[in-house]
Amino acid sequence: MARQAGRIALPPLPGLVAAGLVILGVLLWMFVAEGFLALAGLGAFGPGILRELGWLRDHDEFQRQAAHRAGYHAYLIGGLATAFVVSALRSRGATLEDSSDWVMLILVALWTTWLFSALLAYWGPRKTASVILSVFGAFWAVFVLASIIGTESQDATVVNMLLASLMGSIVVVPFFVLARMAGRRPRGTGVALLAVAALFLLMFAPAWAARDFKLPSLLAVATLLIVPLVASGIALLREGPQSEEGGAPPDMAG
Amino acid sequence: MRRHRRQLHDMTQQELADRVGVTRQTILSIEKGRYNPSVGLAIRIAQTFGVPVEALFEIDREEDHG
Repeated sequence: MARQAGRIALPPLPGLVAAGLVILGVLLWMFVAEGFLALAGLGAFGPGILRELGWLRDHDEFQRQAAHRAGYHAYLIGGLATAFVVSALRSRGATLEDSSDWVMLILVALWTTWLFSALLAYWGPRKTASVILSVFGAFWAVFVLASIIGTESQDATVVNMLLASLMGSIVVVPFFVLARMAGRRPRGTGVALLAVAALFLLMFAPAWAARDFKLPSLLAVATLLIVPLVASGIALLREGPQSEEGGAPPDMAG
Repeated sequence: MRRHRRQLHDMTQQELADRVGVTRQTILSIEKGRYNPSVGLAIRIAQTFGVPVEALFEIDREEDHG
């Protein structure tokens, strides 16, 4: 019996290239020029198009089935979101400029739905939740580290930095603890994930409101931050009590 | 798919996956009953073990009628 659950395997090359293009595209879009969003689009959707054309054969039949099923889910959510957005914009007589943020929201909803549906189908709820929590923990760690370096650079002492890191770890560590728990205690972790999602909502809602974010931007951030936690939490709560091993990470781009 | 058949052949999930050309996660999901393989893959797995396909799989009656 293979006991390889703890082994970390790198995703295959197409997945790494696609993820690299998405990250690079988003960074360039945010900090250099808006046109670079097309690069992220190539990374997110390009590999899937190549697979459908038969030019990229890196997926087995289970991965293809998971991707196709997720495509249907993304079609349903994307279609619903588009219908609501178009209806809202038409009723307000909105201009094209108003529409771009809403189009971005539809893109985020479409892609998030596809990604999490594919991950849940391929990995199952436990490993998907574990990976999502680890990614959240890693992002928080980077965020905490960046804020410590940014605020303490004026009069930094080692003790101050250590204290700030300790305080920051209070936010980061629970994500990694929950990531470890997801495999063994799915129901408890599911409840914890829903609680964390509710906490996020409570923490961020006033801040978002005070900064006067546009509604579509607000909804896009909420989709990226809260939907993964809620979706994983519900999937874990619906999961049976049987044990499950993890597997090698799939290449889940487009 | 019955896991004990693979264990009888002293084969890991990764070894079986490599032999039939899929990922280990696919073998894991078949053994867990989360994924029904294609006829082609089922035959390749059966040939690896040298048994007929029906010796590897059980039909879940509820699922079959669901």
